[in-house]
Amino acid sequence: MMTIPKSRRRSGILGVAAAVSIATLALTACGGPSTDTAGSAVEAGSGEGTIKVWAVDGQAAENDALKKIIANFESSQSKIKVDLKLFPSDQYTKAVNSAAPEDLPDVLDFDGPTLASFVYNGKMAPLKDSVSGETLANQTDSIKSQNTVDDAVYGVGMMNAGLALWGNKKLLDGAGVHYPTTPEEAWTAEEFTGVLDKLATVVPGGKPLDLSEQYGFAGEWGTCCSAGPVIWSGGGTMLKDNKAAGALDSDANVKSLTQFASWKKYTDPNADGLAFTSGRVALSWVGHWTYPTYKALGSDLVSIPLPNFGKGTKTASGTFAWGMGAKSKNGTAAGKFLDHLMSDESVRTYTDANGAPPATKTALAASALYGPGKQLQFLGDQLSKACGTEDRITESCVSVTRPVTAGYPVVTDQVGKAEAAIYAGKDAKEALSAAARAIDQNFADNDGYKK
Amino acid sequence: MTISRTTTPTTGGGSMKRTRRWQTALHYLILTVVALFFFLPVYYLIVGSFRPSRQVLSGLSGFVPTNLSLDNYVGVFEHLNSDATGYFSQFAVVSIVVTTVVVAGSLIVNSMAAYSFARMKWRGKKVLFLLVIILTIIPFEAVALPLYYMFSGQRDTIVIQAIPFIANAFSIFLFYTFFLDVPGEIEEAARLDGAGPFRTFFQVIIPITKPAFATVAILTFLAQWGSYLWPVLMVSDATVRPLPLAISIFQNQQPPEWGQVLAFGTMFIVPVLAVFLIFQRWFVASISSSAIKG
Amino acid sequence: MTTQIQPIQRAPIAPRPRPRSKAGLSGHKYAGPLFASPALIGLAIFLVAPFVLAVVLSFYRVQLNSPRPARFIGFEQYTRLFTDPDLSAAFGHALLNNFTFAVIVVPVQTVLALGLAVLVNRKLRGMVIFRTFIFMPLVFPLALTAVIWRLIYSRGDEGLLNAILGFFSGGALSSQDWLGSPSTALGSIIVMSIWQSVSFQMIIVLAALQSVPTELYEAASLDRANKWQQFMNVTVPGIRNTLIFVALITTIFSFRLFDQVYLLSRSGSVDRGSTETVMTQIINTGFDNNNVGQAAAMTVIFMVIITVIAIIQRAAVRQRGGV
Repeated sequence: MMTIPKSRRRSGILGVAAAVSIATLALTACGGPSTDTAGSAVEAGSGEGTIKVWAVDGQAAENDALKKIIANFESSQSKIKVDLKLFPSDQYTKAVNSAAPEDLPDVLDFDGPTLASFVYNGKMAPLKDSVSGETLANQTDSIKSQNTVDDAVYGVGMMNAGLALWGNKKLLDGAGVHYPTTPEEAWTAEEFTGVLDKLATVVPGGKPLDLSEQYGFAGEWGTCCSAGPVIWSGGGTMLKDNKAAGALDSDANVKSLTQFASWKKYTDPNADGLAFTSGRVALSWVGHWTYPTYKALGSDLVSIPLPNFGKGTKTASGTFAWGMGAKSKNGTAAGKFLDHLMSDESVRTYTDANGAPPATKTALAASALYGPGKQLQFLGDQLSKACGTEDRITESCVSVTRPVTAGYPVVTDQVGKAEAAIYAGKDAKEALSAAARAIDQNFADNDGYKK
Repeated sequence: MTISRTTTPTTGGGSMKRTRRWQTALHYLILTVVALFFFLPVYYLIVGSFRPSRQVLSGLSGFVPTNLSLDNYVGVFEHLNSDATGYFSQFAVVSIVVTTVVVAGSLIVNSMAAYSFARMKWRGKKVLFLLVIILTIIPFEAVALPLYYMFSGQRDTIVIQAIPFIANAFSIFLFYTFFLDVPGEIEEAARLDGAGPFRTFFQVIIPITKPAFATVAILTFLAQWGSYLWPVLMVSDATVRPLPLAISIFQNQQPPEWGQVLAFGTMFIVPVLAVFLIFQRWFVASISSSAIKG
Repeated sequence: MTTQIQPIQRAPIAPRPRPRSKAGLSGHKYAGPLFASPALIGLAIFLVAPFVLAVVLSFYRVQLNSPRPARFIGFEQYTRLFTDPDLSAAFGHALLNNFTFAVIVVPVQTVLALGLAVLVNRKLRGMVIFRTFIFMPLVFPLALTAVIWRLIYSRGDEGLLNAILGFFSGGALSSQDWLGSPSTALGSIIVMSIWQSVSFQMIIVLAALQSVPTELYEAASLDRANKWQQFMNVTVPGIRNTLIFVALITTIFSFRLFDQVYLLSRSGSVDRGSTETVMTQIINTGFDNNNVGQAAAMTVIFMVIITVIAIIQRAAVRQRGGV
């Protein structure tokens, strides 16, 4: 049993020395990858051939819509083929950031706030020479501002995004709860707690609220759509003058997020994704993209503004859009594909699949869901009351753009992590201060992400 | 605690026999509870894969085999239906290819090195072997990040998923201990028959040390089939995504389809489970010999 | 059950009483290095080189594929890891999680492995089936294990574990958020890890049990030792080194902890802090946040810890020598 061979017992200084020497030898055989200095060098190319497209792996319906749009594109002309690759959302930013410039695709999907980081790292090219003027002119203002970095447009979007508390009217009525329908009337956080108490008595499991925990607060969902609106509505921000200390860890944020976490006891974890449609919960805090599923409730489906933490209800705006890889060798073809993506038909196909507000002017005007009197008018109204970025929030504006900085990846990582910790019951001040210091350290290490 | 050795002599007597029967009954009871703990998650996986998604997470009724259908399996294939999302079969092929390359490569390369260390004479051998022994303590985790930095240019290839795991210090060591036991007369006989070192090794030594190869093959297989950390770092592209990474992504899709996730998991594990059931004693033998030798 | 491999089968070649020639396989003086070189080159490139690279990188502020050049900053990454209040707290916390994991898992899993080995080491009808069930999790990849257990631990009454506990307690035990609550998150990871890996240790202990000479038990029972005394005086000393070996591989395993934690921390609303391990932090820092230099420094510290454990392993086994 357990005979240790002699040679094994003899490990000593000699062995260590030998290890080091061979290691040194071996090191000469390797070296870190060269870091390519940024710069976009798009070539117009022949305008034909195959273009590579990267996109985030979304909901099944979104993926199918995208494939349909691509199929339409390929059948509408014969010169350009599309090679689509989907990446899981939590890997996407990393896939782009760790791709060597020559491996970048011709066309890529990106989430609004990651654009600044991609541009800073030299991953993206401006669109003005490749995409048609009509396409650019047809973009709604809010999406255009999301896609602009240093006065250059890097992206075009098919859709915008909106958040709401989706309500089950039957359950709300059953509990005798009156609900607000305009941003001005939004429940205050305290009122909201009372509402939850009432609703808890009418739902089967006693947990009437769905906060979309299944998306994970520690990911982008946390920053964009959960912690973000809470923070902004409470009068706080994540960054102030490019610093998180004094902003993210403010008393206002501590108070708002602690309040938010206190609703955990009313919250169904929704691990099966069926909490709302099966009538287990009366309220669901989630984005437009569940509309195609939620509309199964028919006339019982109502949209309610998120709770007001003191400075008016707030929602996040901005979402995935499309841009071009910095080293594309086929700019003309890529531009044609982007033009096709932004056509009314493509935008309609896509937004029908996920219920999103269209981000092109013509498609928005023709929308069957958004606009006066239509079922999702409320989401559209929220978007039209745009605040711009965090530092320009007022009490009456509703939709806020997430921080525009090349350091956004660390911001979202830390904010999400802090929210998950607070939600798990940890001290909010501690969690937020730690997140703020980590963000500031990262900014300092990168010289504030200045060019 | 009962120490149950069949050889333990009994002092006889009727009461003793009754106690023994009780002991046996108790033994079975404990065994059953323990076996249930180990088996229930497996059962849940397999039964859940045949039940409608919305009934997978539904308390104790998740265990009840009702409403069984193949819908979830069909769903997995429908859901993973293009190059963009990847295909289940593609994930499986990637896993199979990578694992096969690693296991086969590891058997050849490490056994040759071990043979050289155990049976051949050459300058520098002792120092190098000592080094290999020292390297057995470095787990892959310790070098994963710098390795990712070194080979980031090779991301999303099959080759980079396999190559780093072929040479393995512990496998060399295992082979070494087996080769030490080979009687010198056998090599001598081969030499007299005019066999060179290659022929001696491949035609004489390998056939008589098959258990060593089985051991290394099984241990390498178990480690490689479930490999997760390295694919997390190196694979973004669905076309070269191995099964462990694929299931971690698949289970995170929204809205969740738990029945499909369990169907995916069942297809991931059942072939391996079948092989395990057939070759159970080999698995057991290789694991125990990894400790005895190590 | 055969638990030991016969190292060699007798070859059908008659032994010849001839002295071995001096040069071994003479006439092929390059055969030795040639045989060894593929493996050695592999180890040099994929183990030694990255290890040395980790040391080098830990002195730089460096990102992958970034337009910013790497900057030499000496020991700053290490200074930060130990003195920056947040970083050192987070890193310390991750280390603490690893230690907690080890402190619980090592004794529990070693004792469980021993208990299970004793349990199945008896010739009873149907034992093969019981063994098969107990061995089964062995072939489960950790990624799959985490997915199954994620559902078992699911919060709310729908979760399997909550339902089982509620059923057996008659509803007295309320539903827990096993993975989401800081007080149970690590424990939940521990249970699933034990489920997956205890049979590995158990098989090793079982082989050891079966190799304790029967005569020792006979001698002990002649001395009128009862079964517990036999167990403590014959069995345990007989497999002492195996138990040490099992405890130490479990310790090292505790520090390598990654797959389940990383996968689960990205699924649902888990509080990452309460389950963060050194490995998840290395990957989170170096890969997710592209702070390669910092992660390299953590890697070096990780390596030092593993080395210390390995040295303790040698020392512990050597103390009484191989049995």
